[in-house]
Amino acid sequence: MELSTEEIGDITVVAVLTEVLDAGNADEFKTGFASILNESNKMVFEMSRVRFVDSSGCGTLLFCQKQLSKLGGNLKLCGVQESVRSLFELVRMDRIIDIFDSKEETIKSFQ
Amino acid sequence: MKKVKPLVLIVDDNPINIDLLVNTLKNDYRLGIAKNGAKAIEYANKYLPELILLDIMMPEMNGYEVCTRLKAAIKTKDIPVIFITAMSEEGHKTRGFEAGALDYITKPFHAAEVKARVKTHLSLKEARDQEIYIASRIQQALLLGQPPHNIQGIQIAHLTAASQKIDGDFYDFFKHSDLCFDVVVGDVMGKGIPAAILGAALKSHLLRVLNELSFLTNKNNLPEPAQIISSLHKQVIDQIEDLETFATLCYARFDMARYVYSFVDCGHMRTIHFNNDTNNCSLLRGVNMPLGFPEKEPFRQKTVRFKPGDLFVFYSDGITESKNRDGNLYGEKRLVDFVQINAKIEPENLINGIWNDIVAFSESETFDDDVTCVLVKIDKMASYSALPTKSKLEIISDLKELERVRAFAREFCAGVEDYPLDAKRIGMIELAVTEVTVNIIKHAYKSRSGEMIQINAEASADEIEIRFYDRGERFEPKSVPQPVFDGSHEGGFGLHIIAHAVDEVLYSRDDQGKNCTCLKIKL
Repeated sequence: MELSTEEIGDITVVAVLTEVLDAGNADEFKTGFASILNESNKMVFEMSRVRFVDSSGCGTLLFCQKQLSKLGGNLKLCGVQESVRSLFELVRMDRIIDIFDSKEETIKSFQ
Repeated sequence: MKKVKPLVLIVDDNPINIDLLVNTLKNDYRLGIAKNGAKAIEYANKYLPELILLDIMMPEMNGYEVCTRLKAAIKTKDIPVIFITAMSEEGHKTRGFEAGALDYITKPFHAAEVKARVKTHLSLKEARDQEIYIASRIQQALLLGQPPHNIQGIQIAHLTAASQKIDGDFYDFFKHSDLCFDVVVGDVMGKGIPAAILGAALKSHLLRVLNELSFLTNKNNLPEPAQIISSLHKQVIDQIEDLETFATLCYARFDMARYVYSFVDCGHMRTIHFNNDTNNCSLLRGVNMPLGFPEKEPFRQKTVRFKPGDLFVFYSDGITESKNRDGNLYGEKRLVDFVQINAKIEPENLINGIWNDIVAFSESETFDDDVTCVLVKIDKMASYSALPTKSKLEIISDLKELERVRAFAREFCAGVEDYPLDAKRIGMIELAVTEVTVNIIKHAYKSRSGEMIQINAEASADEIEIRFYDRGERFEPKSVPQPVFDGSHEGGFGLHIIAHAVDEVLYSRDDQGKNCTCLKIKL
């Protein structure tokens, strides 16, 4: 899974380049995430290209959040499309993972 | 089996007369005795004797009045009444006949005469009953058709209660295809066997006309109702005119492919059309004269559009002209009001409701006229658009197929013409089909590859159904724990998502071990 990363201070901003995050590529995503995990414990997933997420995709994001919080860090999301956001609300994920509109806001929230 | 002796009611206030009559008749009949008019009416209503011997001169209510009352009530009006009178004057006899008596016996009477008259009238009554029986057999066998099966998207209910005087109500159904059928309802004026036979003759002519016309036209080009009725009229007009009668009739076609109702009405009762959208009834009447009137202009056909949930009610004047005890008619308005209030219940229940309402109104289950009623209900659920929107997809049990499943659902939903779905709704449907497919692959097939999943999508007038078929393990929705939303669980959201993304989810498994997951989306 292609995860393009960018370091802003101690924060890693990950551009999620896949359009779909579902049961079909969830494991691939986790592997990709594991490979960048050492870089930082504060991460922002930039989700604007992601058109579709299913329950496995939600599980994957919760998995990432868990891994980061074990390291004393946190996962935050930005640029979430409306349809994806309504799914997050449906499974109450918006209460577990902070979601912001823009990358800048997200980075600010870490400070 | 020993035949039960006929029951004869003797009404007289004089014990000596009663004794005489009892001694004369007791060997041949069962006897009832009433000593005054009120008791006579009560007895007649309770036991329905086959014949009544009625004294004229009684205190309080005299014989004329008793007879008039018996003849006014549907239940007792057909019981033959013979007057017993000491008065042999013409005037009294005339008055007796006017009150509805069939015959009279003058006092002092002779045993042989009493026996002979009672016997004669009972034989006549038996002959009349036999005629009614034959007529009702004719009606059941020849006049009333059975509704067609397998017409997509309709339900038909029908009701008949033959009156004691059969009057030749008829109805029938002609199925042309799974999406098109005709209904004919008619009523021949006149009573008894002649009317019933003419009704049967009309139906047989109608069948011949349909047969002849369908030879001349091809299957996709059915003869129009107007053409059918014109041909029928040409065949039967001479015969009907000779019989000096006429028949009202409504010939209607339901075209389920185009949602069009076309009909030719010839003086029949106005068909009720309940419009589901507006919750209102309209009354459909044609402009043609009944069959049997000389034809002046061609038969004209009318057309009405209908929609899912609409209802058509055909009925005979036996319903609207049934009377209550004050002589008031049930009437068209009461029927229309009843239909309007109850139009949304099942047709079978509605027709029973109509029956119960007429019975409650008239306080009787027997009627002067035949009561016939046919309901045609257009289903809300079934699929019957001109080009039925159906689609199929087969995938193998591989999570890489998920995008194909979503594309299938997306394109199918976008193709539903009448009620386009917005992007958000389609997004939810994509979500649901993904979750269902993943559940089948991971749980039913335990992540084995190479298994088949078949997906059928179908759109009807008001909903989309997407069915998933697999041959994996049985799925018990109840065995799945409730989702946990505190972030501690990464899975277990699938069913929760499906339940929220669509309007209804049904799981089933057939005898062959084929599972079906059915998603319903209301439009």
